[in-house]
Formats: sequence, structure tokens, C-alpha cells
Amino acid sequence: MSTTTTPSPGASREDLARLAEHWGERPSLRAWFATVDHKRIGRRYLVTAGFFFVLAGLNALVMRTQLARPEAGVVSPQEYNQLFSMHGIAMIFLFATPMLFGFGNFLVPLMIGSRDMAFPRLNAFGYWVFLFAGLFMWASLPFGAAPNNGWFAYVPLSGEQNNPGLHMDVYALGLLFLGISTTAAAINFIVTALKLRAPGMSLNRVPLFVWAIVATAFMVIFALPALNLDNAMLFLDRRFGTHFFDPAAGGNVLLWQHLFWIFGHPDVYIIVMPALGIVSAVLPAFTRRGVVGYPLIVLSIVAIAIISFGVWVHHMFATGLPQLSYSFFSAASTVITIPSGLQIFAWLATMLLGRLVIRVPLLFVIGFVVTFVLGGFTGVMFALTAFDQQVTDSYFVVAHFHYVLIGGAVFPMLAGIYYWLPKITGRMYHERLGRWAFWLVFAGMHVTFFPMHLYGLFGMPRRVYTYRSEPGWAGWNLVSTVGSYLLAVGLLLVLVGVVHAVRRGRPAPADPWDGDSLEWSTASPPEPHNFPVLPRVHSLHPMWDERTAESVGPGATSDRILSEGRHTLFTSELDAHPERAVQMPEPTLKPLVLAAALLLFFTSMLFAWYPVAAVAALTVAATIAVWLWPPRPLEQDLKVVP
Amino acid sequence: MSTPPGPHARLTGGLLLWFGVLGGAVAWAVHLLAAWGLDELACAAGSERVSAVPLVQAVGLAVVIPALVTVGSLLVAALVWRRTMRAQRAGAQDRAFGRSRMLAVVGVWANLLFLTIIVLSGIAVLVLPPCQR
Repeated sequence: MSTTTTPSPGASREDLARLAEHWGERPSLRAWFATVDHKRIGRRYLVTAGFFFVLAGLNALVMRTQLARPEAGVVSPQEYNQLFSMHGIAMIFLFATPMLFGFGNFLVPLMIGSRDMAFPRLNAFGYWVFLFAGLFMWASLPFGAAPNNGWFAYVPLSGEQNNPGLHMDVYALGLLFLGISTTAAAINFIVTALKLRAPGMSLNRVPLFVWAIVATAFMVIFALPALNLDNAMLFLDRRFGTHFFDPAAGGNVLLWQHLFWIFGHPDVYIIVMPALGIVSAVLPAFTRRGVVGYPLIVLSIVAIAIISFGVWVHHMFATGLPQLSYSFFSAASTVITIPSGLQIFAWLATMLLGRLVIRVPLLFVIGFVVTFVLGGFTGVMFALTAFDQQVTDSYFVVAHFHYVLIGGAVFPMLAGIYYWLPKITGRMYHERLGRWAFWLVFAGMHVTFFPMHLYGLFGMPRRVYTYRSEPGWAGWNLVSTVGSYLLAVGLLLVLVGVVHAVRRGRPAPADPWDGDSLEWSTASPPEPHNFPVLPRVHSLHPMWDERTAESVGPGATSDRILSEGRHTLFTSELDAHPERAVQMPEPTLKPLVLAAALLLFFTSMLFAWYPVAAVAALTVAATIAVWLWPPRPLEQDLKVVP
Repeated sequence: MSTPPGPHARLTGGLLLWFGVLGGAVAWAVHLLAAWGLDELACAAGSERVSAVPLVQAVGLAVVIPALVTVGSLLVAALVWRRTMRAQRAGAQDRAFGRSRMLAVVGVWANLLFLTIIVLSGIAVLVLPPCQR
């Protein structure tokens, strides 16, 4: 199928030397901190998010050990509150979204035939902010000051009166800090996908993974302000005595829930959507055909991204709002299952009509379909107000969202890791080790979380640090705990597999899978400039298309080689007509300095060191001014001015 | 090999195409905010009227008007789909036709989804008293 298995020969030796000079980074400590290369930043996102995932997973193991038997005393109630809160916060905010944005950072420019993201310095800044915000939040745990009110931090329990100490200040400030990173990344993805696509890649030829990332980025732009507003008001209430959530002073506690879930439900799709994009990217290589129903999957992505903003009240069906109000959101919650189901049927049809190549990435995709569909079934049940009110705050809900998030996000991520590991590291993974990892993760996941449906229906509430033996929950809890250890062993094998590949894996060819998208036309790992010649795209599957392959061969014109500087090509938004070459920025330390100044600002606010916070704010303003200051025109530029 | 038929060219871009793709989505968003907002605020104030208009009728308008806009958007999307298909059959080579056709398909199905949500909400308005808790 594949017509291009090695990087194109369309550029001359001189062009390649110039590209290497303009885009390459000489190894040094400064270069490590100053890099703006999307591939290095993407890898850092993946590693850092993976590290936070390990920490949050260890939290979960401690919790499952505590719940293995009734009235255990492994941790105190106060410690348990911090563990489950940090587990949820880290998995949602510090692992899932950044991990998927890591894939996006590495892959989007490669998939659309660009040499970098649209704003490389903003990209580096987003990573440093993510790292610092994650460390800011995790650092609170050893001091017993971690958030302790669950990941959705409902008021009035999270207010100063009911929850003194730094716990919820860490939450509010940490998420405000992190939000800067997520917003910056989202803007970057949108502009990159709209302006930097290779010539010929009109909207109907954009890879589904890129559609998913762009839809996710739009969701972030619209959803995150609600969370930021919520956290800003919470911090003001706690620290400065405002009354946004104080009914006695005219505030409203439900305001928190509305704003939180206006962000929170789209966030479920913010997490799942790029993962579904990974599934659509992985399937063609292992079914030897394109995904069935491309326009309908695009429809599904767009529809989910929009409808997800109209379902938030289904998280509030137990708050006593008018039944008619519920019905508007119940209708949307029911209908949103249609586009979700559409994607599932499209993938099943793809597998049915294609020729399956059973490798580890495909196993994880199949595991995803099974697990995510089961999570979807219980999701539909929540759309029915009467049922939802019966199981609210029980372990049934915990079972549901772990099926959705592990099934819908972690399985595709693992598929993506195995699929793109050769491209990211230049090394192949060990197939048998990968298969063991899959079966252990799959079995461990279901043994852990399926019993939670049962003891949720039996009445066990979530977020309890222990329970009595009388209700008969003990046996099922023990099964869940055994499953969690099985799951941990499976995930450990994934890590071992990655380390093994990096250290001892055999060198990967440019296209080990005969993949269909443009990243497989680059070297493994890609050169700093990605493409010696920017391709001209002629179909939805450019790697399976002779004309696209020919476009990067001998005879390629200089407007797609662009070796005279650090350049990439701007194209039109809808049909990717070439517009002009643009200069891309050099590596710089400014993003790191700005992120460090923000870290100082948020830390000072946490400890109420307001003079230090003022200095940090001035440093932030000064760094932004230096960053945005127009560069002095080069002498040769001045000469051409008439 | 032929040039794109002139009258069809305007359907490959511009506001009409985007109305066909996103009109239903915008109409649904307006419906949700208006219907929910009216119901929530009026009931919280202890009234079943919005000025002089009964609450049920006000919410009903917030259902019917967006539903009609969505039907209009659906028709436009269907029209774009038919015309771009004809243009492609006539041999138009511009890839804008392929892109517009895909957007039209997205528009047709998206509008059907949004119309379904609005109709389901309309049934609830007929069945449920506006302030029942």
C-alpha cells in the first residue's frame, strides 16, 4: 500500500544542509531549556504527564488497599480525603489532557505537513507552565496541605469556614495556573491546524486525529473560562472575604456547580475526544483501509463538541431545580449518544470490512471499544433523571466514569504509545511484552471497576474512607483491590516496554506500519525540520497516494523546500491554498522565565506574600513586554523598503 | 475537464454555507439558554409569567422559533449538498467542491440532531408544568 517508506529525496544536499543549520539545535544545557521544537516539547508533555499518572496511580493503590477490608486503618480520614482529591485532580487535569496534548504537539505538525506549531514559543511556555503547575499542586501532598474536597470542590464544603488551611487555596490557584497552559496550547492547535496545513490539504482531507484535536481546542477555549471564573471567586471568598457563594450575603452555592459543570462536562469530551482521534488514526494501519464514513466521523466530532456544552445540568439532577429545566438537558444528554455511537459503528465497520493485522495497538483499540461501550451504556442510564437520582454519589458513578475515562482515554493512549513509539523514539517495541501488558491492563481494569457497579447499586457511597462489614460490601471491595494491583502490574509492563524499546529496541524504519498519514513520510525520529520538502496533498490518505509521494520527490519547487531560513508555509484555512512563507522563531529562554515568574506569583499568593506577588507580577509584565517587543529590522530588510 | 458552473460557486464558501453547517447549532444554543433561563428565573421568582406572557407560552416560543431556524438551516445544507454533488458530476475540478460537499453532509446530519433535541424539549414543555420540582 505505502508508496513512501523513506524520507523524500526532493531536496538537494545543499538544501538539506541549510535546513539542518536553520532548524537544528546543538546539544547544550541552554538549548535544552530554550528549545521550541514541537517534537521535544511533545515528548516532554508525554513524559511529564506520564510521571503525574504514576503518582496519581500510586494514590489509587493506597486507597484500594485502605478499602480492601472493612474498617482498615492504612490511612486516616484526612489523608484519604487528600488522596482521592489529588487522584481525581491529577488524572483529569495533570494527566489526561496534557498527555493527549503531548500527542497533539508531537503529531499535529507532522500530520498536516508543517515544520512546527504556529506559535513555537507559546508552545514551550505552555509546557513549562504545565510542569510548574503540576509540581505546585503535587508539592502540597507531602505537607498534608493537598486539596481535600474532591476534584469538583463543591461549596460550601470548600469554603474557608468549613475547610480551613491551604488545601483549597492550592486547588483554586493551581487550576488557575494550569489553565494558562491549557488555553495557550488550545490557541496554538487551532491556528496551527487552520494556517499551516500542507498545500492541498483541504478540510475534507484533514486527518481525523487533527479534527479531534481542533474540536478539543475549541472546547477548551469555551469551557475553561467558566472554571477559571469559579476558582477565582472561590479564592476571593476564601482569602478576601467576598461572598459569591454565601447565600446569607446574597451569594449562591449552586453558582459553583453550574460554572463547574459548564466546564466539567465538556471536559469529559476534552479528555475523550483526542483519544477517539487516536483510534481513528491507528485503525487504518491495522485494518489496511481508511476509516469508514469519514464525513460522519467529522460530524460526530463537531456535534459532540457543541452538544457537550448543553448537558451540564445532568450532573445536578439531585439539586432540586424545576423538572422542565432538567428535561432540556436530559434531551441533549440522550441525543449526544448518537454521534458517540456513530463513531463506534464506523470503527466496527472499518474492522469488519478491513483486513485485521493483530498487533498491540489494535489490541488496545479493541479493548477500548469493549470498555468504552460499557461505560457508554451506564452513561445513557444517567440521562434518565429518575435513575440518576437513585445512584447519585454512589460507587455506581465511580464505576461509570472509570469505564469511560480508562476505556475512552487510557486505552487509546496506550494504543497511541505503541503505535507512535517508533516515530517518537526511533525504536521498535517488544511485541510479546506489549501483549502481556494489554491483557493485564484489560483484565485488571474490569476486575477493579466492574464490581463497583454492584456495590454502588447495593448502596455504598463514594468518597468514604472506610465502611462497616454489615452491608456485605467487603467481598466485592476485595475483588476491586486485587484488580487494581493487576492493573498496576499491566501498566508497569507498559513502562518496562517503553524503557526496553528506548534502550534496546531495534531501529525503526520510517514507516513500520504502512500508515496512511504524513507523519510516516518523515524519518524515525523526524529531523528537526520534519519535512525536507513540504508535501502537496492529493487525498485523505496521502501515504497511500502516488501523487502525494511524487510531490516530495525530484522536481519539488523551492516554495515547498524553503531552505533559506527557518521557514514554513502559510496556507488558506478552508482549502489550504499556499499563501506565503513565514519566519519561525528561534529557541529562547523567555518562555521559561515567564513561567517561572508565574510560579513565583502563584506561590506568593498561596502563602499571602503579597509584596513578593507584586514583584512577580511586574516580572511577568516585563517578560511579556520583552517577548512581544517588535524585533529590530535586519539591515537587508531595510534596504528593500522603497 | 470543465470549469465549475458559475451559479454553484458561491455555495463553496460564504455565509450561506456556514448557516447550513452551523445554523442548527446556534439555534439550539439560543433555545437552551432562552428556555432554561426563562423557566429557571421565573420559577425562582415564584411566578409563572414572563411580564404579561404565561411562562409556558414564553418557553414554547423559545422552542418553536429555534426549531424553525434549524429547519431552514437543514434545507440550506441539503441544497448545498445537491448542488455541489451536481457540480462534481459535471466535472468540476476545484477541490473546494469536495470540501463544501463534506461540510454540507455534516450540516444535514448536525441539523437533524439539533432539531431532534429541540423537538424533545418541546414535548417536555407540553407534558410538564413549568415549575414542578
